[in-house]
Amino acid sequence: MLAHAIFFYFFSILAIFSALMVITSRSTVNSVFFLILDFISVGCLFIMVGAEFLGMILLIVYVGAVAVLFLFVVMMLNVAQQKQSWFVGQKSTHIPSGLIVSVLILLELLVVVGGWKYKENIMSSSNLVIDTSITNTHSIGSVMYTDYILYFQLSGVILLLSMVGAIILTYRKRENVKTQSYLKQISRDKASAVMLKDVEFNKGVKIDD
Amino acid sequence: MENINYIIPEITLFLGICLALMVGVFFRNSFSVVIKLSILILLGVIYLILNDWGGEQKIFLDSFKNDKFSDYFKILILISSIFIFFSSDQFVKDKMLNKFEYPIIIMFSILGMFFMLSANDLILFYLGLELQSLALYVLASIDRDNTISSEAGIKYFVLSALSSGLLLYGCSLLYGFTGSTNFDEIGVSLITQNTGAIFAMVFILVGLAFKVSAVPFHMWTPDVYQGAPTSITNFFAVVPKAVGLAVIIRFMDLPFKNIIEEWQTIIIFISIASMILGSVAAIGQKNIKRLLAYSSISHMGYALAGVATGTVSGYTSTIIYITIYIIMNMGTFACLYLMKTDGKYSEKIEDLSGLSKDRPMFAFSFLILFFSLAGIPPLGGFFAKFFVFMSVIESEMYALAIIGLLTTVISAFYYLKVIKIIYFDDSKVKFDDVRNLSIKATIFLSCLFLSLYFISPSIIGSLLNELFI
Repeated sequence: MLAHAIFFYFFSILAIFSALMVITSRSTVNSVFFLILDFISVGCLFIMVGAEFLGMILLIVYVGAVAVLFLFVVMMLNVAQQKQSWFVGQKSTHIPSGLIVSVLILLELLVVVGGWKYKENIMSSSNLVIDTSITNTHSIGSVMYTDYILYFQLSGVILLLSMVGAIILTYRKRENVKTQSYLKQISRDKASAVMLKDVEFNKGVKIDD
Repeated sequence: MENINYIIPEITLFLGICLALMVGVFFRNSFSVVIKLSILILLGVIYLILNDWGGEQKIFLDSFKNDKFSDYFKILILISSIFIFFSSDQFVKDKMLNKFEYPIIIMFSILGMFFMLSANDLILFYLGLELQSLALYVLASIDRDNTISSEAGIKYFVLSALSSGLLLYGCSLLYGFTGSTNFDEIGVSLITQNTGAIFAMVFILVGLAFKVSAVPFHMWTPDVYQGAPTSITNFFAVVPKAVGLAVIIRFMDLPFKNIIEEWQTIIIFISIASMILGSVAAIGQKNIKRLLAYSSISHMGYALAGVATGTVSGYTSTIIYITIYIIMNMGTFACLYLMKTDGKYSEKIEDLSGLSKDRPMFAFSFLILFFSLAGIPPLGGFFAKFFVFMSVIESEMYALAIIGLLTTVISAFYYLKVIKIIYFDDSKVKFDDVRNLSIKATIFLSCLFLSLYFISPSIIGSLLNELFI
């Protein structure tokens, strides 16, 4: 159990530390790297509580796709060396108004927590049977493709739409684009491709005519 | 396995979308083919729904519910979409929007609305909502070389994403406090006073009010209406509004049925605010699309007044209201397709001046449609308001009824101002003579319905009687 506790504290401290570094580090690229570190340590925490599927998905989706996308955006926008004058330096007008709004939201949340009342026996009333003999991935898959097939398919339709929508909003048919035509390439023969010319002395040869 | 029959319209629509995508990709300049194919698909889906009319079935672990209420709205949005396809055909070609994806994305949003209407579960509802809104973001900015259209798309996207986030937060709170995502089960467990669930209800209501552009959440409406191409504005003004109201009724009737005291005040406030702002802010507008945007805000206020009663007669009157609202707007937007000078579409109200001299029939249809929007007696729009206020008075909410009637008078001012410009001002701009049968047929059918509705005002009501049992 000691090893478990050590690993738990290691990953949680790492997660909190890197989360803090995401918002405080000067360079945006460093922020993104700390974000990736954060995702990885949270993924490890997931694996430690036995939710290995969630941990892996976190790694694949957030580290593999989202964070890399962030990195691309940061590098392309060339904001790597941007100074965070917002945070240091001259006085900002955003901070007081932001603080007021956050305090208000905090108070409202306290009101909700004050009147907190769970539905009675929420844990025991749920009719979920946890089968410990199969893995998480197996049990998620077995309901996703049977009971929740409609949700699964509908998510697929949403992805299809987002693809079509992205194409319609960004695709432009450009003029004068040189495209590769395999048929044209293969059907070239020696007569059209190779030309023999006598080169006169001191005159050279004109190629493009 | 025979359960699959209850979801066959949705499956057909999706397969039709895939077919239309394939046709669009493999044929060159396939817009006219794809739009005809889409109309055929929508007609086929209407046939399938009518074929299975009636009865109430719940499938997919009670998450998908097929009943008369959802069938009625599905047919309503299908018919209005077919009319939009027909009447906007010329406009779309003139504006060079004739890419084959255009009808396909509209069909995607219709598919999303189908799931919103049939949802009996928060997850299915949210998936349908996302499918519908994602299609609408693309549609709003489909005229991508036009800055105003792109701006409209971005504005709609950012605000709508925010409201979807609030709605999702509400859904998660609701799940936390009731232990279920199923509407029926939520309705059963929400009997007692539950502060957390009331928070959830408020968040969900904010998201839904955004979708129907009711007042505190209406900011996007004028800009998006003005920025989007007119054919898309036509779609925005008609179809998502009807679905949004239907979903509000669904939520109030099923999961929130037993906490009526809590939501009633909110709906009354939203309704009154929409009626007042919609009538006052429209007065200074010079662009007819912005005018119609404010007019639609105030119409949503009247429709929500019916919901505020929380009774079956109130819900029925709201459905009658939204049906007549759709018919009025189909006609009005078809008129906008005729406002064309030298091949360019005009949106200024002052361009309409003196229309009665050179185009008397066009001017007369404007007269019927705007009188009906204002709610002047023998026309259909009057009966829509009449039924709503009758049910409000039956529930003894006199203040709501009085404010509603007063705002009707205010809003009559700007409708009549347009009529005055058409009939009594000097002619400035001469419109082209557009010879397009489908636009004229849409205007004619809509005016015919509105002016003959008084013969049998209970016709929609009797159709709706069996919706709530």
